[in-house]
Parts: sequence; structure tokens; C-alpha cells
Amino acid sequence: MTLDITAPQLQTTPQKAQGSRMFRRLMRRPVAVVAIAVIVIIYSAGIFAPLIAPHGFNEADFTNRYASPSLAHPLGTDSLGRDLLSRAIWSAQTTVIISVAAVLTGGLVLGLSLGLIAGYARGFVDYLIMRLAEIFGSVPPILLLLIITATLLGSVQDLGYNVQDWTGQHWIVSSGAPSYVLVFGALSMFGWVGLSRLIRSQVLALREAPYVTAAQAAGASHFRIIFWHLLPNVGNLVIVALTLSLGAAAGAEVGLTFLGIGVQSPHPSFGAMISEGVGLTNVRTHPLLILVPAAVVSSLILAFNLLGDQLTDVLSPRRR
Amino acid sequence: MSARNIAYLLTGLVVALIVVGGIVAIASSGGGDDSPGTGTSASAAPRVAGELRLFGADPITLDPACASDADSATYIVEIFSGLVTFDKDLKVIGDIADHWEVSTDGKVYTFHLRTNVLFHDGSRRVTADDFKYSMERAINPDTQSTVGDVYLDDIAGVDDYITGKATSVSGIKVIDPNTLELTLNTPDAVFIDKMTYPTAFVVDKNQVKDSTCFDSSWTLNANGTGPFKLKQWDLGQQILLVQNSDYYLTPKPSLQQVTFLLSGGSSYTMYQNDELDVTGIGANDIESVKDTTNPLNKEYHTSDSLDVFYIGFNTKKAPFDDPDVRRALAMAIDKSTLANDILKGLVLPADGILPPTMPGFNSGLQSEKFDPTAAKALLDSTGKADQLADVKLLTSGQGAAPQDALQAITAMWQQNLGVTIEIQQEDFGLFLKDIDDGNNQMFTLGWIADYPDPQNFLEINFRSDSGNNQTGYSNAQVDQLLKAADAETDAAKRLQDYQQAEQLIVTDEPWIPLYHGHSSFLVKPKVQGFEVPPFVLPYLRFVSITS
Amino acid sequence: MAPGLASYIVRRLAIVPIVLVIVSFATFALGRLAPSDYVEIQAGPRASPETIARIQDERGLNDPIYEQYGRYMWDALHGDFGTSVKPRGVSVSKILLPRLWVTVQINVLVLIFTWMIGIPLGTWAALKRGTWLDPFTIGSLLMFASVPVLVSVPLLQWLLVLKLGLLPSGGWSGASFLGVDFGLLSKRAVLPILALTLSGGAGLARYMRGQVLEVLDQDFVRTAEAKGLRSDVVVVRHVLRNAMLPIVTIFGFELAGLIAGSIFVETLLGIPGMGLLFYESVGSRDYDVMTAIVLLGSTIFVFSMLLVDIAYGFIDPRVRLGGAG
Repeated sequence: MTLDITAPQLQTTPQKAQGSRMFRRLMRRPVAVVAIAVIVIIYSAGIFAPLIAPHGFNEADFTNRYASPSLAHPLGTDSLGRDLLSRAIWSAQTTVIISVAAVLTGGLVLGLSLGLIAGYARGFVDYLIMRLAEIFGSVPPILLLLIITATLLGSVQDLGYNVQDWTGQHWIVSSGAPSYVLVFGALSMFGWVGLSRLIRSQVLALREAPYVTAAQAAGASHFRIIFWHLLPNVGNLVIVALTLSLGAAAGAEVGLTFLGIGVQSPHPSFGAMISEGVGLTNVRTHPLLILVPAAVVSSLILAFNLLGDQLTDVLSPRRR
Repeated sequence: MSARNIAYLLTGLVVALIVVGGIVAIASSGGGDDSPGTGTSASAAPRVAGELRLFGADPITLDPACASDADSATYIVEIFSGLVTFDKDLKVIGDIADHWEVSTDGKVYTFHLRTNVLFHDGSRRVTADDFKYSMERAINPDTQSTVGDVYLDDIAGVDDYITGKATSVSGIKVIDPNTLELTLNTPDAVFIDKMTYPTAFVVDKNQVKDSTCFDSSWTLNANGTGPFKLKQWDLGQQILLVQNSDYYLTPKPSLQQVTFLLSGGSSYTMYQNDELDVTGIGANDIESVKDTTNPLNKEYHTSDSLDVFYIGFNTKKAPFDDPDVRRALAMAIDKSTLANDILKGLVLPADGILPPTMPGFNSGLQSEKFDPTAAKALLDSTGKADQLADVKLLTSGQGAAPQDALQAITAMWQQNLGVTIEIQQEDFGLFLKDIDDGNNQMFTLGWIADYPDPQNFLEINFRSDSGNNQTGYSNAQVDQLLKAADAETDAAKRLQDYQQAEQLIVTDEPWIPLYHGHSSFLVKPKVQGFEVPPFVLPYLRFVSITS
Repeated sequence: MAPGLASYIVRRLAIVPIVLVIVSFATFALGRLAPSDYVEIQAGPRASPETIARIQDERGLNDPIYEQYGRYMWDALHGDFGTSVKPRGVSVSKILLPRLWVTVQINVLVLIFTWMIGIPLGTWAALKRGTWLDPFTIGSLLMFASVPVLVSVPLLQWLLVLKLGLLPSGGWSGASFLGVDFGLLSKRAVLPILALTLSGGAGLARYMRGQVLEVLDQDFVRTAEAKGLRSDVVVVRHVLRNAMLPIVTIFGFELAGLIAGSIFVETLLGIPGMGLLFYESVGSRDYDVMTAIVLLGSTIFVFSMLLVDIAYGFIDPRVRLGGAG
């Protein structure tokens, strides 16, 4: 598993707003529709987990451990008699939370704003931001992610307790929030580089466009130019890049949790499910333990890869 | 691309799946039964005659003065040796010391050393000077041992030596090369037991020189005195021990070589593939091994450990300052399901603190029994159920899934008491610090014997002023009993005191004792005399291999 | 060479030491920000807090981070990367080199296999575009490329270890060849290499297929074919040459990806390589080992990324390298 969490490199020529057209072209491709469907299904399962999961994620039944699939437990149960289907659905919720939060904070907030600023301001600011991006891009993310999550987990959890005592909100730590925050925070630290480069290059080109120079001549404020003229024209691309980095972030969370430094037990994650299912004896005697998370994670990554292919096709004029 | 590509792609995926499935199907039928490794020779490393192959944990250090963990001690006790050791019946016997006398006031121990003990390199024999050097080195703050003073602080003059007021420990006296005299501050019934611990082992001063615990590269070629010599230590890969043919105790080691594999996948599979001669059995495999129709069943052995696993409470902090809350949590745990079902009989459910094989074990101990209804009622009567909402069960470890047992316990509390208690995993150092600082509400930990005496369990963990009293538990009556037992010379009376103390502790429930280790393992028929000791002791010299 | 390229390379090289300093300092600081250090972790349950505090002090763990970092880097510049704490007191190079050697053996072979399989397979798949084989190749390549090693390793274990009994379950054996440790020669090496090659090879083939298709559609190839050149000549002379250049860029990504792949494969299979060592050293707060591995990993990564960027620059001079404002 690679932990390349930077946004995929999309090579496109700057285009004027054509979001709906692009989307329509995409939806004419059945493969893309299937890929989107898989992603939507897994993400909706996660979003609606509280409504659709038949059991809680930590609802153990010791009389029913390692149960085979049945009507009550369509995918069987694990070593503690927890319903595997429910565990998988709740794990999808973790996938949704982590990947969306990481992409929103790292990709959208950091990546977009730094990209816009760099492209628009140029000069020294641009130089600074791009050197920063270069440094972040020169670090193997997995090494630092591992160090960050492993070493800070205890401190972040302590912080969670302090916040809890201070605010009187007793759900904070028991909801697992600290480990969630740490994981997506760490992911977003590295998630902004690719997007900000992409946005910057678009903005650099758009900046010279007649309607922008006209607006500048008319005395429009920087704020207005950025949000009124530039943002809508890169919006398209942003959506595409963000969608694809969702997949990367989801995969990274699974990897980190598998290593034991991501989302903490008993909170569900595909990474935790995999780590509970590996081991030769489990693979031999209870293959569903590994097959269920393996199938979901593989289909999700497969779907994101497919979607990436299709988007590249749609966006690049060269391809057929 | 055309509109057909969906059909294309799906066919592609299906075909790929069919091919993979086909390979698997052919493979499965070709592979015959489910037992792996049949008919194939997996990894045929050149074998040494009389070699025993074990799965080993990576040691932190092989320096006897420094080891504070069982993994390291396992190797150290085979490579090094000290004045005394335990025999198989857990009686203290002479090791390098041939015999010893204790003065009538119980304060002066005179050890008479064997004259035929050589260091592994054969360069010279061990003398009393070597012991003085080794023990002083373990105590010396410059050595940076975290355990040196813990096991040797009974000896007179240790404090002065540590604080630098004296240049040597006055209580360690070399009478002549064959005689060592140790003087204690106060008589101590378990002092001789503590002398079996690696901190009192002898090391080669020519090799060790002034190296610290964190600069112990000499251990890669450790020159010891024990039954086995360290032949090779490939970091992270393997440790090779070979027979010390000059060994001085009987039986001499019979194995030519002991190979500890430090890396690798499933030891159970490696055993089945004949890559290992002994393997532990985990909860997942134990059922198939216990099945008498399984050929492996004949190779199945068990051994009891002198240990206890428990949940400890911070008795100084709400809500666990209330014994009833602690009792309610205890009564809501079904220990027999835990031991027999979740852990598949790899452990024995614990009623009290002392394990069944410990001298002084009390079979008539009264303890809280599993009773979910009473537990719920008791918890409700305290009115503190809602305070349990933000309690965490602290545990040590790195890994996504805490042990099944812990998850099962929290699930039992959920089911029987309706309280959600989260498991918090911390790395071991932080974990111990949080416990020592009282920065926790409840935690789980194990305790394994240093020596087979109730003092090692009860006094260290429960006396109010003990440095290792992690629960903050304080009961004047218990303190008094423990103190009385310390001074008691009548062995039977002494054990009685400990039993009374244990009963009081169990009633107060600062710990919920969960289970005692009852490890299961497989041993190849050609291996004779393989018995895992109940705590870390040298045992490999009793093992032999028949061809 | 494009005129900007030389200065670009110089600038990128100039950034390398800065990156290494920042990364190693971050590692250093993060390790020490952790709530416990190695003395506490290893102290054992019997140690007294006073003893622990004294040892921490003596070992300089209470000094300001920048002082400790300065000491470390000063020694590192003199070739001394410190000592490990698990096992205690062994010089980092002594620990690292055997581990690195294991990982290098695996990964070099993986790279070779990946290229040996990926390039021909991708080319072949592209040439078969539109035939009945096409969906099969696209589908299976995509599938193998998408299965993470976390999933493929257990499945391979099930098949090759449990069902077929062909391979040992994991680990690494120090088979030696001419006195050098060559675990590569043992059957234990098969599983990790296979797992990493499967996804890497499929990924490369997928990428290669795309590149070849792109070249096939370009005018000069069409012209060549129109001129009646035999198609295999066209493929070798025009298509492959033009498609190979972009492929070089993927080499850098592969190299970088192997660092991540090694951590998971080695953890899953218990292989005593650098990935597992890193994972363990983070857990045991083995600062010196941790920092040394990060330094090494970052150096490899930085240069692979540089390679990628330079290759891009060669291929498409229009790409504004780094695009300094």
C-alpha cells in the first residue's frame, strides 16, 4: 500500500468554467458511473451508519463468536461476536470522517488558499509558498506520518481530556475524537502540496486572461478578483482533485490504523479490521475476518483509480 | 472509448477473478489437505546435530546489570550466572557459590565459591573479586541501571555508595578469592531469593570495563559463565547459543546449540513446517490442538506461570475511591468465560492475587463471584454509574487491537452494567508513568514473580508505602500483617499472615485479579525434558534431543 | 538540455540540505515531544522514579531540543549516527546496515521484476487495444494495481503457505552466499517480493499502456505506418523510444513508494528490514535510529523526486520547472 497522499497530478490546460459540461461528459461514461456508484455506496453507508448498521460497532456477543454468516449476521461475527457487517459499515463512517476532514482542511482550506495566494500574489510570497511546497514534497510522507501519529497520540489524548474537563463535554474523548483529529490533521499537513501547485499554475495562467486584467483595470479589489473571477474558474479542477485525494486519504487512514497509530480501538476502522483478520490461523479458519475489510478497501481504491482514469480522459483534450 | 467499455471492463474483472479463482481452486486441490507444508521442504537451513530451535523475542539488552524485562532475562539467565539459583522445585541452591552460611542475626551471608568456574572464553576463573566488581557496577549510578539498586539495596553501604560518600559498598566484602561476605542492613527473608536475579550475576570486568547500560555493545560477544555461550547475535534475526562444555553444575547442558529465531511469521506454522522444535499456541489454534484426533495433540504441553493479570484501580480518585464501585465492576466480569472461552483455557481464572503454584496459595479465599444482577444493583446503589461514562481503561501497547480479553471485559461492563468504558492504549513508558503518578482511573497490567514468595506479590504491590503501590491502596491492617510476615521466622505462620493480608486485599478490591498464565505449547517428540519454568529461570540445560 | 534545467537542478540540489535539516529536526523534536522517552519505556515496573529522572538527566534528555539536535548532527556529520536503545548501546550503523541490506535485497529485486513485467506487459496490452484481450488486460491490471499489500499479503499467504505449502509463512532467514548474508536466496524472500511486484508491476504496466497508446496516436507513428514500415519496427523504433521517457519518471515514484511498501510488508511478514526497524524504533523511542532512518529515507526520496522533475523537464520543456515566480 502506498501512502502517497498528495493530490494526484492532473495535467490540464486552463479552461473556463465548464463544470456541468465536464460532469455530463463524465456521466456518459458507464465505467465512470460504476466507479462513482461504488464510491457513493461506500460513503453513504458510512454517512448513514447510525441508521443502517444492524448492530453497534462494539456490540459483543460472547455466545456467538466467530459465527458463520446467517440471517442475523449476514457476514458472520468476529472474535468477540461482533457483527462483521456492522463493523464494516461503521468502519466506512471512519473512512468518511477522516478522508473528508483531511481533504477539507488540507486540500480545500490549505491547498486552495495557498495556491490562490501564490498564483495571485506572485513574487516573494509565491516564492515562499512554493519553496515550502517543495520541502513538504521532498519528505517521504509515510515516515513523518508514522512519527507524528505515534509520538503525538498520547499528548493529543491528554489534550482531549483537558478540553473535556474544561468544557464539561464528556463525549469528547469517548467518541474517539482526539485520534480522529490527529489522523486527519497529520494527513492534511501533507495533503495540500499537490493541490496548491495545481491551483497556482491555473491562477498564473488565468491571471493574464482579459477579463481579469479588465477587472483589475476597473479597480476591483484583490478579494473580489480572487473570489469573483479566479475561484469560479478553478472550482472545477478543485473538485476533481479533491475527489481523488479523498481516496488517497482513505487509504492512508487504513494503513495508519493497521499499524496501530491511527484511529484507536474500539472505534472501528478497516485498518483495525484488517489487523484483527491477518495472521495465518485467522486466514485459515476465519477468512471472512480479512475478506470483508479487504474487499471493501480494494473496491474503494479500485473505484478511485477508475474515476481518476476517467477524469483524466475527460479533462485531457488529447485523449480519445 | 465507446459505450461498450463498461461491458469490457466488467468482463475483464470477471475474467481476472475467474482466472485467480481457478488458480486457487487448482492449487487447493493439488495441495491436498489443509495442513500446510505437507510434502514440501520449506527452508532447509543446514542443521547442527543436537540443535534446539525456538522462537525468541528480541532482547533489549543482554547486560545482566541492566535488564528489567523478561524477554532480555530469558537469554541472560542462560548466558550468565550468579551466586545462587533456583532448582526445579523452586528451592534456592548454590550456583557459582558452592554453599553459604547465614549468621544467627540473619544479617551476614558468607558465600563459598566453587573453584572450577571459568568465564566462557576460558581466560580465567571467577573469584570473589569478580562478584564485588559486578554487584558494585550494577549499583553504581554511572552504570545507569534502572534496577540495580532495586534488587541489591538490602546490602549495607549501598546508599553511601550511590550518593558518593563511599568508593565501594561496605557490605560486599572479599574475604579471599573463594569467599564473599555480604552484610545486610536488616535481616530479610527474601534476600537470598533476590540474589538469583541477574543484577547479582557476575560479568567479566576485562570485557565490560566502564560501559553503561546504554553503551553495552560488549554484549554482542558477551563473555559469561552460564550453561550456554553466546555464539552469535544477528540483531533482529537470530541468537545462537552453544553449549558451555566447562559448565560446573550437573546436569551439564546436553544441547549442542540453541537457535532463537527473532523474526518471522507465525511460529505455529513454522512448527508445522519443522522450522521450530517448540512453539507457543495462541487462542486461535488451541482448540484444534486440544482435539485428541489431531496428531499434534500428543505434542501438547502446558505450564503454569507464577503471574497474575489484573485490573488496577486508582483508589484515591473518584469514582474508584468507593470500594462498592470497584466491587460492582468486578462482579460484572465473567472470569470463567474470559479464561475458558475468550482465551480458550490459555489462562486460569483468578480469584485471588497469588497464583495456585505459589507457596501460600489460599484455596479457601473468599472473593466476589460473577453476578450481573447484583453488580448492577450494587452500582446503582452507589449512585455513581454516570461517573463511569468518562472513565478509560488504561493499557500498554502499540497496535490497532487491544487484546481480545480487554475488549471482552469492556463489552461485559457494557452488557451487565450499561456503562461504556473505553480502552486507552499507551506506550509502556507513558503508561507506567501515568500509573506511578496516579494519573489514571483504572489500568490493566500483569505481575510476574521475581522469586516464588508471596512477599513478592503482596508487599510490593499493596503496602501503603511501597514504591510500587500503584493503586494508592492503603489499609492499616494489611500493612501490619505484611510487616509481621517480614519479621516472622516461622515459615508456616509467615504464610498465614500473607493469606490473611491477601483476603483483606481481595475484599477491598483495589485490583480485580483476572487470570493466571497457563501457557500452552507444542514440543517435538524428539525434544526431552522441555519444561517452561513458572518465571524466568535457566532451564535449557535440562533439555536434550534424541535422534 | 533545456537552458533552465541546469540552474533548476542546482537550485533543487541546494534545497536538499535544507530539507534534510528540517526533516531531521522535525523527527528529533517530535520524538521528544512524545510523552515518554526510552529510559521510561525500558525502565521496567520496578524502577524508582528518582533513578529514572537521574538517568534521563545524565543522558542529556532534559537538555533543550536544539542542543541535543546540535550534538546529534555534529556527530552525524562525523559519521557517527549515535547508538540504539533497543538493543541497547549498539551503534546505529551496526543496527541499520544489516536491516538496510535486507530491504535493499527485496526492493532491488522488486524493481527489476516490476520493470521486466510491467514494460512488456504494458506495451503488449496497448498493442492489443480493441481486441478480445483488451478488457481482460485492463481489468486485471487495474485489479492488481488497486489491491493494497495489506490485502494481498494475507491472500498470498493463504494461497502459497496454507493451501499449497510452498513457502514458509514469513520472516527472513540469513542464508549466506560467499560469506555474505543473502536472505534473498531463501524461500522466505518470495512472499514479500511477489506481493510488492504484483501491485508495482501492474501499476507500471497500466502506465506503460497509456503512454504507448498516446504515442501510437501521434502523427509521426501514423506517418511511419503509412510509409509501410513493419509494425514491430514501428513499435520498437518509435513507440517504445517515445514512451520510455515518461516511464522514467515513474521510477522515482516507485522508489519513493517502496519506502512505504516496505513498512507494511515487513510488518506483516515479520521481516527484519528497515521498514520494520523504523516502525519499532518509533515505538521504542529509539531517537537515533529513528532519525538516521528518516535522514536516509528522505535523501532517497528527495533524489527520486528530483529525478522525476528532471525527467519531466527533458520530456516536456514546456513544463515550467518549479515555476519560481
